[in-house]
Amino acid sequence: MGKYILRRILWLGLVLLAVSFITFSLMHLVPGGPWDREKELAPQIVENLNIKYGLDKPFYEQYINYVWNALHGDLGVSYKYQDRSVTEIIGTGLPITATLGVIAFILALVIGIPLGMAAALKQNSVIDYVAVVFSTVFASIPGFVLGILLVIIFSVWLHWLPTSGWGDWRQIIMPAFSLAALPAAYTARITRASMLEVVRQDYIRTARAKGLSERIILSRHTLRNALIPVVTVAGPELAFLIAGSFIIENIFSIPGVGRLFVQGVFARDYGLIMGTILFYAFAVAIINLIVDIMYGWIDPRIRYD
Amino acid sequence: MKGKLLYLLAALLIIVPIVFSGCTSDDNDDDGDDGTVTTPQVFRVNLAGEPNTIDPNKASWATERSVIMLLFVGLLDFNSDLSLKAACAQEIPTVANGGISADGLTYTFKVKSNVTWSDGSKVTAHDFEYSIKRMLDPDTAAEYASFYFDIVGAAAFNAAASADAATKTALRNAVGVTAVDDTSLRITLAQTRPTFLSIMALWPTSPVKESVITAKGNLWTEAGNLIGNGPYTLKEWVHQDHMTFTLNTNYWDTKPTLTEIKYLMILDATQELSAYKNGELDMARVPVGTETATLADPVYGKQVVRNNDLTTFAFQFNVNKAPFDNLLVREAMSCAIDRVAFVEQVRGGVGTPAYSWIPPGMPGYDADLGKDFAFNVTKAKQLLADAGYPNGVGMPELKFQYADTASNRTIAQFLQAQLKTNLNLDLTLEPMEPAAFSAFVNSEQHTWAWFGWGADYPDPDNWLPDLFGTGGGNNHTGYSNPAFDTLARQAMMELDNTLRLQMWAQAQEIVMADMPIVTMFYRERFYVVQSYVKGLEPTGMDGGIMGDTSLVNVSIVK
Repeated sequence: MGKYILRRILWLGLVLLAVSFITFSLMHLVPGGPWDREKELAPQIVENLNIKYGLDKPFYEQYINYVWNALHGDLGVSYKYQDRSVTEIIGTGLPITATLGVIAFILALVIGIPLGMAAALKQNSVIDYVAVVFSTVFASIPGFVLGILLVIIFSVWLHWLPTSGWGDWRQIIMPAFSLAALPAAYTARITRASMLEVVRQDYIRTARAKGLSERIILSRHTLRNALIPVVTVAGPELAFLIAGSFIIENIFSIPGVGRLFVQGVFARDYGLIMGTILFYAFAVAIINLIVDIMYGWIDPRIRYD
Repeated sequence: MKGKLLYLLAALLIIVPIVFSGCTSDDNDDDGDDGTVTTPQVFRVNLAGEPNTIDPNKASWATERSVIMLLFVGLLDFNSDLSLKAACAQEIPTVANGGISADGLTYTFKVKSNVTWSDGSKVTAHDFEYSIKRMLDPDTAAEYASFYFDIVGAAAFNAAASADAATKTALRNAVGVTAVDDTSLRITLAQTRPTFLSIMALWPTSPVKESVITAKGNLWTEAGNLIGNGPYTLKEWVHQDHMTFTLNTNYWDTKPTLTEIKYLMILDATQELSAYKNGELDMARVPVGTETATLADPVYGKQVVRNNDLTTFAFQFNVNKAPFDNLLVREAMSCAIDRVAFVEQVRGGVGTPAYSWIPPGMPGYDADLGKDFAFNVTKAKQLLADAGYPNGVGMPELKFQYADTASNRTIAQFLQAQLKTNLNLDLTLEPMEPAAFSAFVNSEQHTWAWFGWGADYPDPDNWLPDLFGTGGGNNHTGYSNPAFDTLARQAMMELDNTLRLQMWAQAQEIVMADMPIVTMFYRERFYVVQSYVKGLEPTGMDGGIMGDTSLVNVSIVK
């Protein structure tokens, strides 16, 4: 197991290098640079900015410099927010996006799994129909539509919650729900389908024949097996949520990494783009690794060596 | 089981509102009977995004100006009627008071003796010298440095990015900005520039404190580090979320009434209005396209405040690309577009139809100019026929490029419909990602594009040479007319103001006759403002927030 993790981490290094090279090349290939404005800057000013940020150097030199500095923990300066370093900017956005992502993730599981279970255990009952309707509706409403609807209801009409911003727990509720709705719906469907399959398995019948109580069958046999596909989708879901939804962060003005990335792309802020992309790649890779390790724990048949 | 669940649900429905309502609505309670004095003087507005920098030397965007105007005060400033006023300077330099030399090349500013930094120390002429030279330093890479290239040695210093340290120091010392003593700052120009005082009233020459910058480096603009000389100090800057400003206890001029100003950073315009409706903001923009609905609203309709901006929007041709290299085609386009319908239908009645370039409220505005080529379908058809394309026959494919945003899309579709209806011409729309669009237009690859221009300072010399002079920095039409160039070169340096304005009037006439652009409308800001906000004075040159040039006059009266 230790060896396996070590091998995965070595691969991670290579993946990050590849991601950095592809991103770096794409950034420079896309038309429009960091100093392209509708109100054009004087040529002398553009030249000064290029020299200041090393953009006057050849492409390969810029890339090597970037990688070298990144290996030393320096992700460079932002071209948009010229007085701040990329590490510092991402450092302030990251805890916010992560908090929101984890809350949304927990919300998705807390809503999705019980709903799916209830639906499967009482198949074709009212609960089942409610669950199916819930998962269909929330799987098809885009997060930003839900977000705007929530704002109109809870802020503009009822005045219960602040519309946007960050810092107060009341500001987390609407974005967390908007973000959690789709994964919750998805989790509910997967849980329901998986449960329906597991309850029909021979080993459940065996357990019942042994005279085990329904409670024990459910917790020890049904649930544990039924959750394997849920864990499979939960991994990418967590990665998706922690990566931060650009749209949700934009609508609710949450100062997270997702919003920074979008701003970076629009401003052609090479430093900020590279920083956020590398962070995403790293986060997704690590989460996938954790999911793989969890498989081994949930399903003893899966072995890594 | 089912019964229990229903009870639980019912209980939740009852509890949730109680819990939430318990935590809100605590700020509207204490508006006493007539306790106008005790009303907290806190003003909350939206800055619509994090400023890129609030370092006055480096700043260039409207949102940045909104912050700088609270924290820094320069030698000169603009009144709300956009006339100049002395701020840190004792008086506006003139030839009569000896502030400007007879040849118009040397300016002497006298700094008021009571001007202090927010830490209580004195602001002297040396601080201004440091600030201006730092702004011109190529290592600062300030975006507005080119505005000050009339100063002796400024351009040479700014071009020395790759020079060695000794050369840079020599060039810095050669810049014509000198603090003669603590109270006098002398600036020497390489050539006369009648609008130099207006340029000195802009934010890049605000004083900055050398000791703070040396000690804190780039982080000197963070809350806690920043020392300014403006009416407010930066109390808190939660990046990407909000900024809080409190009264500068050491402010040397009349202290404003508002004790605290909060800038939120809500990006989405619809959300900004929602925040206003939820009592989180005292003032908000109304999103484009929803103005009519807002006016019709029984509550919000009464809170609307509108103000004309010194900003013009236009369609710019590439005069070097067919078919727009033909003046008659350009004139036909101008006559085929109904500006009145545009403002009414596309802009929700917000803004004023524009027939010439320089907007009303600025010296050089000419109300009659351009009316010859106002909307007139018969004339448009005739001009098109004269150009060799009767009924549009034989016309090459017409293309229109724009930055793909929701409001630009409606503009492009309007243009497409106008050409189809009025001239039976097909227009191909080419939406582009905003930065890519800017790069495309700046390299003059476009054929026909949407653009706007806002005043840096209220004078034609900010509106004509850079945009229509041959090779001008923002000339993206490829337009070139030697008659215009000669006139502009003279007007840029002409010290006789009457003569100077006549020259600019003539220059604008030349441009409008050659028609490298079709002017469409003058922008108008459209806000809702709570009735308890008093003293808001919008000007045509506000920054990111309407009225931000004179927030010192605002008070809250509930």
